[in-house]
Order: sequence, then structure tokens, then C-alpha cells
Amino acid sequence: MLMPKIEIDYSKCTNPMLCKKCIQVCPTAVFEIQTLKMERLKETDLGDPDAFKLDVFYRDRCTACNDCVNVCPVDAIKIILPEATRP
Amino acid sequence: MCRLCEMYASEGIWYLDAGNFAHQMYKLREPGGKPQQSSESTASMGGSLLKEAIEAKCDGNEEKFSELVEQINERDKMYATCHVLPLKDALAVMDIASPVAKMACICRKRQRAWEEDSNTYSCLGLGTGMLKWERWPERYRGGVEFLNPEEAKEFLIEWDRKGMVHIIMSEGQGFIGGICNCDYPDCLQIRHRLDYGINYTVTKSHYVAKVNYDICNGCGVCVQRCQWGALKLEVTTQKASIDQFRCFGCGLCQTGCPRSAIELLDRMSLPALREVW
Repeated sequence: MLMPKIEIDYSKCTNPMLCKKCIQVCPTAVFEIQTLKMERLKETDLGDPDAFKLDVFYRDRCTACNDCVNVCPVDAIKIILPEATRP
Repeated sequence: MCRLCEMYASEGIWYLDAGNFAHQMYKLREPGGKPQQSSESTASMGGSLLKEAIEAKCDGNEEKFSELVEQINERDKMYATCHVLPLKDALAVMDIASPVAKMACICRKRQRAWEEDSNTYSCLGLGTGMLKWERWPERYRGGVEFLNPEEAKEFLIEWDRKGMVHIIMSEGQGFIGGICNCDYPDCLQIRHRLDYGINYTVTKSHYVAKVNYDICNGCGVCVQRCQWGALKLEVTTQKASIDQFRCFGCGLCQTGCPRSAIELLDRMSLPALREVW
């Protein structure tokens, strides 16, 4: 069983905690926010552009519906279908 | 027998044992000494192994997926993890644990970039650690708000009404640090167990739900409240039907039933479910 690949262009997607569009539109909740900056005893600043990263954690749940691709305001998401399932 | 009760209770249910709330949270440090670096938590270790497993599954390598899941389960069963409990037990905990404070949910922030403030907090922190959380809000999820036992009970009842499962959280050695109000897919524990078989991350409750067919009129309210896929409306009989092997005993169907047609049975009273946790 081969699943779609989701590619994120991190030069375009810089702060998912401020945008939130794809992570909230996804019907199967494929994405996850990773916190990159973890300083001991300090809460991470939501506005820090280098603090958060959009991660495709649950790739097996992606149905390739393309909702995230369409909602992304900076065109940073691409879904690549495995060859066997391409129309 | 419940694994957590075996490990952490002398008698009765482990989360009703006051000793499990009385962990020493504050350690004395030598003047000028450096704070201990906390080691990577088991949850985040589980996260990276699980990610590897999911990637293997996506690439068609089912064997590697199963091996990795088994590896996570072997490790997790040594530790206290999370435990589903029905509203009545969560309310009883409010008379044992102190202090109690409401705070933001960390799972929903990760899964849906969901930010909660003091009007929407959905999680309860328990024990002396909360004093530290209140003192340094910039260090701990923007801080917490203390509740007295009556307010804490109202808080739990309100989240139960909305349809959230109550899960009591422990940290490694049985110390109980919180009660979360959770739903699929935003709760990591529920999701990892249901979707990937990470079976020790959240343990089924001490109860199992059962429908009284004489009272049930098939209204279907309970079906919408089940997070576990254990409940359906049986078309033939026009009654709610519970798969008791899938039931986690959260009691949401019971608290939501307008006719009180559902009861929670003691899991140990059903011989075939005694070892199903």
C-alpha cells in the first residue's frame, strides 16, 4: 500500500501557528505543529517565525483531497500521488 | 486486573488513592547549583518512533510498522500512562487532589494549532506543581487559573456535557498530574491507540457501558457522544447497541442519555472483559 507524499516548502510556510489554515481544514488531521525552539522554563513566543514547523505526522491518513493545497495562502503545499494511483 | 492498580494501588482504584497525588514536586538545590536537565519525555520518544512507524506503513512496509509499534508497547507497559475515567470518578478525584487549576490543552495546540485562553481552558492540572505554573505563566503555557473543588466539578460537568472524554494523566512513576477533557482526533493518546494500536498510552476505564433495552427508545443521542466507535443504532431493534469489547468505559453515553437507559458495569464483573484494558 503506497500513500501520497505531502511536500511543504518551508521557505514559504514560515509560521503555521499564526496561519493555521491547513491544520484546521484537514478532514483527517494529518498535520501537526512541531515546536522547534524549546528553551527551558520559557514559553515559546507564538510570533517567532523560527519557533514552529508544520509537520506531516499522520501521512497514512491523507486522502489526497487537496483541501490543504487549496487553502494555503502562500502555495507551500504539494501532494504527490504514488504512480499506481495516478489517474 | 488493571495494570495501573497493580502498580500503584494498595487497594481499590489507583487514582482514588491519595498517595498518588502527593509526589514531591520541588527538589532542593545547592546554592549556585545548576538545574537538572530533564530527559526527553516518554511521550516525545514515542512520537518519533511512531512517526518512523507511520512512514514505514506509508511506504508499504507493514512488517517494520508492526515491529516498531510492538517496540513502543513493550516500553510503555513499564510505565504509568493515561487512564480513562467516567465523570463520577473524575468528580471524586476533585475531593482528593489539591490544588486544582484549569489550563490550556497541549494536544489540541499540536494537532489543530488550537489556542485556549482562560475562557476556553479545557484541561485540569492537579497538585503542588500548579503553584509553579501560576507563578511563571511565561514558562508554563501562559499560566493557570485555580479552581475550588466545587468550581472544578462544574468545569468537568460542563466538558462532559459538551462530549469530552475524561482522562487522568500520570507521569512515569504513578504521580497524577492532571485530568484532561479529550476527543478524537485532537487527543494524541486516543488517536495513537485507536489508529495505530499504541495500546498502553491510554488504558480503558474500570467500567463498561450497557444498554437497558427496556428503557432505550433509540433516540441516538449516545451514538454521537461515543469517541471509540463502540456505539451504533441497531436498525433491527431500533435500540442503541454497544460493542463492549470496543467500549472504553468513559461513560459519555451514560451521562448523555435523556432516559437514563445506560448503566456502567464494573469491568471485573464481566469475566471476558477482565483482561481487556
